[in-house]
Amino acid sequence: MGELQLRDVYKNYGQMEVIKGVDLDVDHGEFIVFVGPSGCGKSTLLRMIAGLEEITGGDITIDSKIVNNLPPVKRGIAMVFQSYALYPHMSVYENIAFPLRVERLSNDKVEEKVNAAAGILQLTERLKHKPGELSGGQRQRVAIGRAIVREPSVFLFDEPLSNLDAALRAEMRVELAKLHNNLDATMIYVTHDQVEAMTMADRIVVLDHGIISQVGTPLELYHKPQNLFVAGFIGNPKMNFITVTCKQADETGIVVTLPTGQDLNVKVVPRDDIAGQSFTLGIRPEDLTLKPADATIEITPSVVEHLGIHTVTYSSVEGASNTFCALLPGSAPAKVGASISMGLNGADCHLFDENGLAFDRQLAVSALDPAEMHL
Amino acid sequence: MLHKYRWYEYVLIYCGVAVFLTFVLAPFVEAFVVSLRPLSGLFSIPYRFITDDMSFEAYFSMWKNVPLLWRYMLNSFFIATVVTILGLLCIIPAAYAFARFEFPARNSLLGVFIAVNMFSGAVLIIPLFKLMQQYGLLNTYFAMIAPGTAFVIPTGIWLLRSYLVRIPKELEEAAWVDGAGKIYTLVRVIIPVALPGIVVVTITAFITAYAQQFIYALTFNSVNELNPLPVGLFQFFGRQSVVWNELMAASLVGILPVLFVYVFLQRYIVAGLTAGAVKE
Repeated sequence: MGELQLRDVYKNYGQMEVIKGVDLDVDHGEFIVFVGPSGCGKSTLLRMIAGLEEITGGDITIDSKIVNNLPPVKRGIAMVFQSYALYPHMSVYENIAFPLRVERLSNDKVEEKVNAAAGILQLTERLKHKPGELSGGQRQRVAIGRAIVREPSVFLFDEPLSNLDAALRAEMRVELAKLHNNLDATMIYVTHDQVEAMTMADRIVVLDHGIISQVGTPLELYHKPQNLFVAGFIGNPKMNFITVTCKQADETGIVVTLPTGQDLNVKVVPRDDIAGQSFTLGIRPEDLTLKPADATIEITPSVVEHLGIHTVTYSSVEGASNTFCALLPGSAPAKVGASISMGLNGADCHLFDENGLAFDRQLAVSALDPAEMHL
Repeated sequence: MLHKYRWYEYVLIYCGVAVFLTFVLAPFVEAFVVSLRPLSGLFSIPYRFITDDMSFEAYFSMWKNVPLLWRYMLNSFFIATVVTILGLLCIIPAAYAFARFEFPARNSLLGVFIAVNMFSGAVLIIPLFKLMQQYGLLNTYFAMIAPGTAFVIPTGIWLLRSYLVRIPKELEEAAWVDGAGKIYTLVRVIIPVALPGIVVVTITAFITAYAQQFIYALTFNSVNELNPLPVGLFQFFGRQSVVWNELMAASLVGILPVLFVYVFLQRYIVAGLTAGAVKE
């Protein structure tokens, strides 16, 4: 129905490698989000699946048929573009009907399908208008309508919401999630916005310079990032990184020495012969606490943002690779230049080796599976 | 706008425009005045702009003195129309190809097209004459249409190409994803979106074709019935005298088709037809 496999997919532009061997299996009905910084190849990968870019190497399979050399229309995909790409001279009706007209469907069939799509997208009253008379959100819905009428097995979205304002984006996010449930179709969605990725995805594919950095559910990526890149990319504000030295390791975790000289037992699965090595400790701003904890860090904020619900502080800390950020309750007594003592718990920390690869965290299943969650 | 003109700047600007317009339009005014005067009153001294004996008589008598005048006008219109249509048939696909497809020597080919335009048609008259003679095409409409078409194409391609490259690529990609072929996309998507650009090209081509017929008609045609207006006007040149008033009247009437085409088409030059296609 809507299965997609990528096998060792490569893409070169001349000498430049853009996609460097991507493997991915997508099941029917999944909502997959490709996310990554700009230039990571996420749009290129999507366009390769769509058939708009040629594949240099590897195989793309849709519904157990290799589609490498098929034109887009034969692949059973439909695509929604970032810029909507509506035909300005045609009415909304004709825009949505365009793929059906290409197929030379009878007028009755066209009308039936367009009306059905317009109904789903609440465009029925707008069918006679030209795209120029519509708001941004409506235009995007027309573009989605044009994809729906083809009843593809895989929907491809190329940053469809990035042109909308924040309020509309949140609204469309919910609508897209609903649409995904109603249509029972596979969706591949490209975005650079991790909020979109976290909120909509069944699984997120994090891309970094043309390779898949990690694939997993939003909570997996958040709680168990496999490397520094994913750890730094997922989560806002960004995870803090501090250089630490490994002191000893046993089955309860790895004991590391912070730059302040304190020891902290990080709850990760240890490896052999690691004592004395230099590691990177990761701690999310929201995991820092004002309560007593396993270890403390003194920070002196240089910038404090009061967001009401939260207070965000930025400070420089010895051993931290970047500005050290802490996300505190809105009522936290943070002032610029006034020192605060921050607590961090070994169970909340992430640990990465010299190559940036994470030590597996000892986490309860309830952290990763919404079905197991409880307060 | 930040800068507003002061009153004396306005005066200067309008004076400049007035001088310019006078230079451009004075010949037309003079032609019109001449067409109203009887032949005998044309060279009266001192020169007077308005005289008592003015009438529209020349506009009626010219049809009798040169009985085929209507035919010349029709020929002119016909030749220019066919040149424009044939030209567009070549220009649109060519400009689309130059705007969108990657192929070897694309840029040098474009350069060659401009280079062709640097030659005046007159330079090629003799080789063209030999060619027409070889193929027995002299004294046909074709002999006047073919070279005319060839000369409107390069400018047309350049004009339209620059318009087409500004059309967002996503429109074609969307059509391609939806299963439309290149030709279908060109006809259903590109041409309607590029209509303002195509209208500009049409007007340019028509005016060029209307203006350039003289030299081809004079050389390649000696059948009176096929002559376009510029050659036909020669019939007002008698052995002893030139019938100036009727000549001017015929010239002015001859401009009407161009004016008509222009007025008709310029309504379609609508700015912002692409509004709403993509988010800018």
